[in-house]
Amino acid sequence: MTTLVSKLRQSTAAAVLALTAATVAGEAFAKDLTITVWAGGSNDSDAYRIEAIEMAADMLEREYAINGEELNITVEGKRDFAGWEEFKQAVTLAAEAGTAPNIVVTSHLDIAPWSKAGLIVPVEDYVDMDAWPLNNLYENLVEITSYNGQVVGLPQDAESRPFFFWRETMKKIGYTDEDIDALPAKVEAGEYTLANVLEDAKKAVEAGAVEEGYGFYPRVSNGPDFAQFYQSFGGQLMDKETGKLILDKQAMTDFYQFFADAVEAGVTRKNHIGTEWSQWYSEVASGKAALWHGGTWHYARYTGKEGLEDFFGNIQFTLIPAGNENGRANTITHPLTYLLTNQDDEEDIEIAAQLLKIASEPRINSLHAIKSAHLGIAKEQSNIELYANDQWAAEATDRLLGHANAQPNHLKYGQFSELMFKGLETAWTGTKTPAEAVDEVEVEMKATLGDDLIVR
Amino acid sequence: MRRADLFGLSFMAPAILLSVLFFLVPVLLTGVFSFTSMSTSTGITGGAYEISQDTIRRLKEDGLPADVIESLESDIYPINDAGLAAVEEKYGAKFAKEIAASLSGKTFDGRRDLERALKKLKSRPRSTRELKKAADLFKSSILNIRFDSESQFQSRLDGLNLDLTPEQMQEVTREAYTGWIWTTDNYSRMASLPSTYRAAANSAVYVGFTLAFNIGFGLFLAIATFYLPSGQAAAFRTIWFLPRILPPVLYVLMWKWMTWDTGFLSTLLSFFGVPTHNLMLDTAYHAWVVVVLINGFVGASMGMILFSSAIRAIPSSMLYASEVDGASRWQQVWYIILPQLRWPILFTTAYQTLSLLTSFEYIYLSTDGGPGSATNVWALYSFKIALNNYGGNLEYGYGASLAVVLVIIGILASMLYLRLFDFKTMIGKPRIEQ
Repeated sequence: MTTLVSKLRQSTAAAVLALTAATVAGEAFAKDLTITVWAGGSNDSDAYRIEAIEMAADMLEREYAINGEELNITVEGKRDFAGWEEFKQAVTLAAEAGTAPNIVVTSHLDIAPWSKAGLIVPVEDYVDMDAWPLNNLYENLVEITSYNGQVVGLPQDAESRPFFFWRETMKKIGYTDEDIDALPAKVEAGEYTLANVLEDAKKAVEAGAVEEGYGFYPRVSNGPDFAQFYQSFGGQLMDKETGKLILDKQAMTDFYQFFADAVEAGVTRKNHIGTEWSQWYSEVASGKAALWHGGTWHYARYTGKEGLEDFFGNIQFTLIPAGNENGRANTITHPLTYLLTNQDDEEDIEIAAQLLKIASEPRINSLHAIKSAHLGIAKEQSNIELYANDQWAAEATDRLLGHANAQPNHLKYGQFSELMFKGLETAWTGTKTPAEAVDEVEVEMKATLGDDLIVR
Repeated sequence: MRRADLFGLSFMAPAILLSVLFFLVPVLLTGVFSFTSMSTSTGITGGAYEISQDTIRRLKEDGLPADVIESLESDIYPINDAGLAAVEEKYGAKFAKEIAASLSGKTFDGRRDLERALKKLKSRPRSTRELKKAADLFKSSILNIRFDSESQFQSRLDGLNLDLTPEQMQEVTREAYTGWIWTTDNYSRMASLPSTYRAAANSAVYVGFTLAFNIGFGLFLAIATFYLPSGQAAAFRTIWFLPRILPPVLYVLMWKWMTWDTGFLSTLLSFFGVPTHNLMLDTAYHAWVVVVLINGFVGASMGMILFSSAIRAIPSSMLYASEVDGASRWQQVWYIILPQLRWPILFTTAYQTLSLLTSFEYIYLSTDGGPGSATNVWALYSFKIALNNYGGNLEYGYGASLAVVLVIIGILASMLYLRLFDFKTMIGKPRIEQ
C-alpha cells in the first residue's frame, strides 16, 4: 500500500514537473497579446474599421508561425461611443491615465494635439513606408495624416462631401433630365452657385414639392461640412506660409448670411440644428428635402438602412457650389486615420503597427470602402473588382476627389471650427445678425487662438 | 479629551474623510488647474522637449538668427565614425563595416533616404524597426526628437555647436516645451469674452426662474394635497413625484416626443390649423420655458415632500382653533401654515440654488444649450470647454477657472442666504430649553 502511494506521488510529481517545463518552454516562443482598437464615429456599416485589424492579426500570426514564433493576438474592438465628443473624451482621458487603447481610428484633425501631448507615436518609426502596401497609398492622403514632416497615422479611408439634389423635385420646378445631368459640370464651372440653390429651394417650397423648411436641408450638427461653405465664399482655413489659421471676415459674413437667408426665405428651418440624425436620414432618403448636403458614405445609409432602391435614378450629386465670385465650388475630404498610441511596452506598439500595415492591404480596405461607401486609400484598389465595379465609388471618386481639400492639421483648429460653428448657430437661429455674429467670433477667436490667427 | 468626544469623532471620521476626498481635494485641485494652460495638447502629467516644424515657425517669429534656424530645422544623417562605432556596438562589426565600405563620408537628408541605402546591405538587421533604430544612430540634428527632461534636451542642443547665448538657449527651450505652464491668462480671457457674460446671464435666468417655479409649485402642491382626503393626496403626490424617479434620459426623451415638431403637441395643434414647429427650440423663449419646466417639475416634487411633512408637523389644534374662530382656508394658509414653513423654505431655496448653479444634465440632454447658445448656462459651458466638444480639444485649465468662479458664487450665495434667513436663530436652542 505504502509503495503504491509513494509510486503515485512520484509519478504525480513527475507529471507536474513535465507540465511546468512544457509551459515554461512554451513561453519562450509564445507571446499572448491583446490589442485594443477604439473607433470613433463608426456604426454598423463601418465594422471593418475593427474587423480589418482582426483579419490583419490572423495574417500576422501566420507570418510569425512560419518564422517559428507563436503569436496569439486577441483584438478587442469598441465603437459604441455616443458621439465624437464622447469618443475623444474617452481616448484622451484613458491615455492620460495610462490605459489608452493600442490603436485608435479617428479624425486626422486629432493628430496635431495628440502628437504634441505625446499620446500618439508616429507610425513611420515602425513601418517601412517604401514597402507594400504602404507605398501604394495615395500621396495626398498620406500628407493629410502627416504632421510636422512626419507620417503620424495611416489613412483608414477617404471620403468627400457632396451636395445632393432630389431629381423628382427638381423636375417639378422645371428642370429636365438633361438639365439635372448637366448640374455637376455647371457647379464645377461656377455657373450654378449657392444663390441658385436658394432660388431653387424657394421654388420647391412654393410649388409645394416639399414642405416649408425642407427646401435646403443641411447637416444637423457641427462638422467639417460647414467649412466648405466658408470656402465657397472665398474663405481660406490656413495660411500655408505662416502656418496660421485665417478668419476671413467677409467670407465668414457671406457664409453666415447664406444660412440666415435660407431661414428667412423659409427653405431651411430655424431650429434645424439638433434634429435627430435618424429623422434627418430618413427624410433626405425619401425625397422629403429638395436640396441638401452630406458625405459620400451617405450612399450606404440611403441604400441600406433607409431602403432607397434606385440611388442614381433619384439623386443627383455635385460639388458644394461656389457662393460668389470670391469662392469656388469645393468639397472637403476628412479621412479617418489609424493612430498608434504611446505604450510602455515598445513591442506592443510594433505589433500594432504591423497590424495597421496589413490592414491597409487594398483588398482588405476595399471591404470597408464598399461596405461603408467610403473611397479607397490605395491606387491598386482600382484593380480590385469589388471596388472597381462599384458605381458609386467610381463616380464619386471621379466627380469629387480631384477637387477635395482637407482641413489643416493645426493645434488649434479644433477651437477654430468650434467657434466658427457657434457663430453660425447664432446667425442661423436669428439670435444675432450675421455681421454681429462675425464680430463676436472675431473677439472669441482672437482671445482663444492668439498668435495663431490672422484676421482679414 | 473625554471618551465620549473620541467616540463622536470616530463617528464623524468617515464623513470628514469623504468630504475631504470628494469635495475639498477636487476644489483645491480645480483651483490649482485654473492657473495652468493645461489642455489636450499640453497633456496633464507634464511635458517633453521637442523641436518640430511648428517650434521652428515660432522661433523664426521670435527673431532667432537664420543660421541657427537652419541648423535646427535640418534633419541630417552623416555617416561618420561616431555613428559607425555605435552601430558596431549594437549591431555587430560586420554591419558597421559594410556601411563604412559603401556609405562612408556621405550625408543623408532625412531618415528615409538613409533607410533606403541601408536596406541594400546584406548584413542589415532583418526587422524594419531595428533598421530604423540603426539609422537613428547617425542622426546629428535635433528635429523631431522628443526629450523627457530639460537637461537632456539642452545637452543635445549644446552638441550641435550653435553658439547660443544663454537667453537664446532659454528661448529655444521654452518654445520646445510641450507641457503646460503656470498662467493667469484663463481669468483675463474669461473676462474678455462675450460668451462668458452670456453664460453668466443664462445661469442667472435659469436659477432664478427654476427656483421660483420649484418653490412656488412645490408649496402649492404641498398645501393643495394637505386639504385633500389622504388617499387622493397620496395619489397626487405619487404622480408629481414621477419626474424625480424617472431616469433623466427617459424623462427628457418624453419631453422631446412632446415638443419636437413631429411630436405630440405639434401634431395635436396641427389639427387646429397651427403650423407645426419645434416647441423646444423654435426661439430662445420656447427653449427657456421648456428648460424651466423640465427642471421645475423635478425640483418641485422635492419641495412638495419637504413642505408636506412640515405642514403635518404643525399642531392640528392650531388649525382647529382657527376654524372655530371662523378663519377661511386662505387665512389658515397665510397666518398659520406659511409662517411655520419658514425654515423648510429657507432650506429648499438654499439647497436648490446651489444644486441648480452646478447642474446642467437636463439642459445638456434637451436643448444642449441651444438655440444658438441661448440656454448655454455656465456649468454646461465649462463642461463643454473642459471635457466635451466636437473638436476634441479639451481645455482643462480654462474649464477649471470657469468652475472656480462657480464655486465662489456658490459660497457667496450660501453666505447671503444664511444672513437673509437668520440661520443662527434656526439652529439656536428651542426657547423651552433656555
